[in-house]
Amino acid sequence: MSAPTLREFLRARGVTRREFMKFCTATTVMLGLPATMAPRVAAALAEARRPSVIWLPFQECTGCTESITRAHGATIESLIFEAISLDYQHTLQAAAGDAAERVREQAMKDNWGKYLLIVDGSIPTGNPGFGTIAGHDYASMLKEAAEGAAAIVALGTCAAYGGIPGAKPNPTGAVSVGDLVKDKPIINVPGCPPIPVVITGVLTQFLTFGKVPELDALGRPKSFFGQTIHDRCYRRPFYERGQFADSFDDEGARAGWCLYKLGCKGPTTYNACATVKWNNGTSFPIEAGHGCIGCSEPHFWDQGGFYQPLSTGNWGNARTVATAVGVGAALGIASAALARKRQRDAEGT
Amino acid sequence: MTLLEFARGPGLQWAVTIFIVGVLWRLLGVFLLRGKRDLSEPRQPAAWKGLRLIALRSWPRREFLEGTAFGEVMGYTFHVGFLVSLFFFAPHVLFFADVARGLIGTDLRGLIGVGWPTLPNGIITLLAAVSVAALLAVLVHRLVNPVKRLISNFDDYFSWFVTVAPLVTGLAAFSHLSGWPYERLLAYHLLAVELLLVWFPFGKLMHAFTIFAARGATGMIFERKGASL
Amino acid sequence: MTAPTGHTHTRKPEPLEFDKPRVSIAKPEYRFDMQGEMPEPERVERAMKSFVKDFGRTAAIYMESCIHCGMCAEACHFYEVTKDPKYTPIWKLEPFKQAYKREYGPFAVIYRALNLKQKVTVQQLQEWQELIYDSCTVCGRCSLMCPMGIDIASLVSQARHGMFNAGLIPHELWSVTERARLEGSPLGATPKVFKDRLEWLADDHEVDIPLDKANADVLCAMSSIEIMKYPDSVVATARIMNHLGVDWTFRLDGYEATNFGLLSGNSAAQKLLTMKIIDAAVACGAKTVILPECGHAYTALRWMGANMYGQPLPFRVMHIAEYLAEQVHEGRLRLKQVKKSVTFHDPCQVVRRGGAIEAPRDVLKALGVELREMYPTKGTNWCCGGGGGVIANHRADDIRYKTFRIKMEQIEKTGAEMPVTTCANCRQTFDDGQAHFKWDTEMHSLLELVADNLVEEET
Repeated sequence: MSAPTLREFLRARGVTRREFMKFCTATTVMLGLPATMAPRVAAALAEARRPSVIWLPFQECTGCTESITRAHGATIESLIFEAISLDYQHTLQAAAGDAAERVREQAMKDNWGKYLLIVDGSIPTGNPGFGTIAGHDYASMLKEAAEGAAAIVALGTCAAYGGIPGAKPNPTGAVSVGDLVKDKPIINVPGCPPIPVVITGVLTQFLTFGKVPELDALGRPKSFFGQTIHDRCYRRPFYERGQFADSFDDEGARAGWCLYKLGCKGPTTYNACATVKWNNGTSFPIEAGHGCIGCSEPHFWDQGGFYQPLSTGNWGNARTVATAVGVGAALGIASAALARKRQRDAEGT
Repeated sequence: MTLLEFARGPGLQWAVTIFIVGVLWRLLGVFLLRGKRDLSEPRQPAAWKGLRLIALRSWPRREFLEGTAFGEVMGYTFHVGFLVSLFFFAPHVLFFADVARGLIGTDLRGLIGVGWPTLPNGIITLLAAVSVAALLAVLVHRLVNPVKRLISNFDDYFSWFVTVAPLVTGLAAFSHLSGWPYERLLAYHLLAVELLLVWFPFGKLMHAFTIFAARGATGMIFERKGASL
Repeated sequence: MTAPTGHTHTRKPEPLEFDKPRVSIAKPEYRFDMQGEMPEPERVERAMKSFVKDFGRTAAIYMESCIHCGMCAEACHFYEVTKDPKYTPIWKLEPFKQAYKREYGPFAVIYRALNLKQKVTVQQLQEWQELIYDSCTVCGRCSLMCPMGIDIASLVSQARHGMFNAGLIPHELWSVTERARLEGSPLGATPKVFKDRLEWLADDHEVDIPLDKANADVLCAMSSIEIMKYPDSVVATARIMNHLGVDWTFRLDGYEATNFGLLSGNSAAQKLLTMKIIDAAVACGAKTVILPECGHAYTALRWMGANMYGQPLPFRVMHIAEYLAEQVHEGRLRLKQVKKSVTFHDPCQVVRRGGAIEAPRDVLKALGVELREMYPTKGTNWCCGGGGGVIANHRADDIRYKTFRIKMEQIEKTGAEMPVTTCANCRQTFDDGQAHFKWDTEMHSLLELVADNLVEEET
C-alpha cells in the first residue's frame, strides 16, 4: 500500500479542505510569493507523499527542536510536521538504542537519494570522541547521511555556522554542516533558535517546488532572511531621529526608543523576527525591550558582546595599548639615538 | 570571517596599534633629537609667552589674507565638519566611551555624571557633506594652483584620500544607501577609518600633532627676540 | 656663465665697483658658482655631513610639519612679482627635506630600506643654488605667514651651510667671503683702509674719532658698506657718540659688522668674523657693543653671537637705532624738529626678525617728523629685495629689480617726502634700484638724520 498523499492524510485527521486552503494561502503569502500561487502551493502539497526526513542532532541544545514543536494545541504546523515521515529524531521518536538506529538505516536505504536531511547542532572536529551516536562520531554520520540526501537543511545557527560550540575558544573544534559537506545543496536556516514558522515555511517551500529556494550569500532562504531586522523594525523612526534608550528601564527605554546604544544588532542581522515575530506573532526581542543579539548571523557570540553597540569594536584593551605605547616609545628613542650618533660621527670627522 | 567581523576585530586592533606605535615613534624620534641651547640674552624673559603663537597663527595677518583666504576658509570648513562629525555623532561617542572605559575604567558619565553631548543626526549629516565638498574644493585647488601643483607629492594626494574616504563611507553607511547591504557599508566605513589610522603617523596628517610643536617652537624663539609673531 | 668645473681658492682680490650705487665686485665675466675640485659624490657627501652636523630638534620639527599648503608663496616678494611657483619658499628646502627624511628623520631607516626618497644629487643642489641664494633674502616674511609656524627663513640659512660645504655657493658670495676671511672686510675696507678713512674723515669733518682705545665703555662697529660707500655714517656715529659724551672707541681688531660667512653659509667664517668683534669688546672691556645700520650684522651678533662664543656675551649688544631710542627715552638725546613727511622702510633683520620694531619709530618721533606708515609695515613690511647677499649676486639682478617695484609702489602710495631706513644694505639696494628705474626718490639713513639734527648744548 503506497503512503497516503498529504491531502489524504490531513483529511483523515479532520482537517477540512477550507482549513487546508487557508494554510496554503497563508504559507504562500509568508513565502513572499504572489497570492495567485496559492493554488499551486495547495496542489503541490496535496499531492505530496510524506517524504522521508532524517534529523541528525549533533552538538546542539535541542532548542531548535523546542522551537519547531512550539505547538499551541493541535496547530496546522504540528500536523504538517507529522505529515512528514520523520524517520529519525532523537527527541520525538519512540524508539531508542539499536532499534532507532536500524530504523534510520532502513529509511536511508529505502529512500536513498530522496530523503531530506535535517541537521541541528555543530560538528566537533577536534576529537571524534567529543560527539557520538551509537558509537559513530558525528562527522562520519554526517558524511554518510549527506551522501544519500536530496538536500540538507542546516537548522539553527550551530548547524549553519558553528553556533555556540563554535564560539571562542571553540574547544571542540566545532564546524558547520557547510564546512564538511561540499557536494550537496544546503539550506541554512539559522537562528538561535530559528522562528518556528520559518522552519516550516522553508520545508513547505522545499516540498512545494522540489528544489532549494533562492539563497543569499550565507546560504539562507531569501524569503525569510532577505531583509534585516533594522529594515523592518517598528522602532526605526527613533533610530533615525537619534532617540535612544541609554540604559534598560530608563526614560527612553520605557518610551520604546531605539535600542542601538544597548547593543542591538538589528542593522546587520538578517531574519524575519520583525515581521513574523515569535509565539505566533506575539512579540520579538526588541518589542520586549531587549536589543537584537544577531542570532541568525555567523559568530554572533563573538561580536564583542550583546550590549556593545555596533559602532564599538575590538580596539584592544589597556594592555595592548600599553604595549603599543612601549613599542612606539622604544622605536622613537632608538631612532633619535641613531640620529644623534650620526650627528656625533659627523662632528668627529 | 566576514568583512565586517574583520573590520570590527583584528582590522581595528591592528590599526589602533599601528597608529599608537607610529605616532609615538615619529614624535619621540623628533622631540628627542638634540636641541640647541640659545645663549643670547632675550629681549624679555618668559619665552613661554611665545606659546601664544599656537593660537595666533590660526588665522593669517590681514596683510597676507588676499592670497590665502580661500585656503583658510576651506581648510577650516573641512576641519570643523570632520571633527564635529567625528566627536559628536552618537555612534562615534559610543565608541570613544567604550575606549575610555577600557583604558581608565570609566567614561565621562561615570566621571562627572553627564555624558558627552551628541548633535542631531541631521546636523552631523550636513556637516559631513559640507566637509566632503570642502575637501573636493581643496583637491581641485591643489591640482589647479601652480604653487600647490609643484610642491605636492604622493603624501598630499593619499592623505586626502584617506581623509575623504571615512567621510564618504560614513555618509553612505549612515544613509543605508539603497541597494547596498548595510553590513558591507559599515565594514567599508570601518576599513576606511582603519586605513586613515594606519597612514596617519607616516604622512602629513601628523600635522595634527606637529602643529603645536612647530608653532610653539617658533613662538618661543621669536618671543625671546621680541620679533614679530 | 658658469665654468665647467671647480675653481680653487684664490688670494687674488676681485675688482670692486665703487662707482656703482651698490658696492660689489664687478659683474664677473666668468662665474665660478662651484668651488673646489671634488668629485660629485664627495660634494653630496660633504653637503649631507654638514647638514647632519647642523641639524637640531627645532629644524627637524619644521621639516616634519610642512603640509604643502603653498601659502608661504603669497608672502614672498620673489613669488609676488613673478608668480613662478618655483619661488615658493618651502620649495627652496626640497632637497634638504628629502635628505632629512632619508638620513635623519625618525623613519630614516624605512626611507632608506625602501628607497622612498632618493639620495640628493649634485645636479639637484646645483639647480637649487639659484633658489637658495638668488631668490631668497632670508627676510622671514614666509615664516610669518606659515600656518604651521615653520621658520622657513632659518631653514634656508641652514641649507646654505650644506651648499657651502658642497662648494656650491654663488661666485660673488664666495669671493667676498674669502675677502672678509683673509683681509678683514668683504668689500676692501681692510684695517689699513679703515684707519686711513677714519683719519681723513676726522680731518674733513672736524670730528674726533677715537681708535684702538685700550679701555672703553662702548665699542662701535661699522659695516663695510658704510665705510666704503656711506662714510657720512661713520662721521654721524662719531658725532652722536661724542655729543652724548660716551666713552667709546672703534678698534682695528674688531670693527667689521657685516658677516658674509652668515650670508654665504660658511659657518667657520661666520664664527671667525663674529669672534673678532667679541674679542675686541672683551679686550677693551666694553659694556656695550653698538652695531651699525646693518641688518644681518644684528642677527649675527645680537642673536647668534653668544652661541658662536659658547657662553653668554659679557656685554650688551644694540643696534644703533635701539641705542638712539634708549638715549631719547632717557632724555639724553634732544633733536631738532624735522618738518618733513617721512615713511620708514623696515629692515627685515632688524625689525621683523630682530625685534627692534618700535625703536626706529621712537627716534623718528623724537625728530618730530610726520610719520606715514606704508602698507604693509613693521613686521609684515616687504623686504627691499637686496638682503641675504642677493645684492652682491649679479646673477640675481633681474629678479631683484622686479621685486624693487613693490617698494617703489609702497613708498609712492604714502606720498611721503622722505623714505628713511636704518640698514646700509637696504640703503644701497634702494640706491641701485633708484638708478636702475631712474626713480626720483632717495633713501635716507636714520643715523645720519639724527646726526644732522643734534641739538648742541650751549656751553
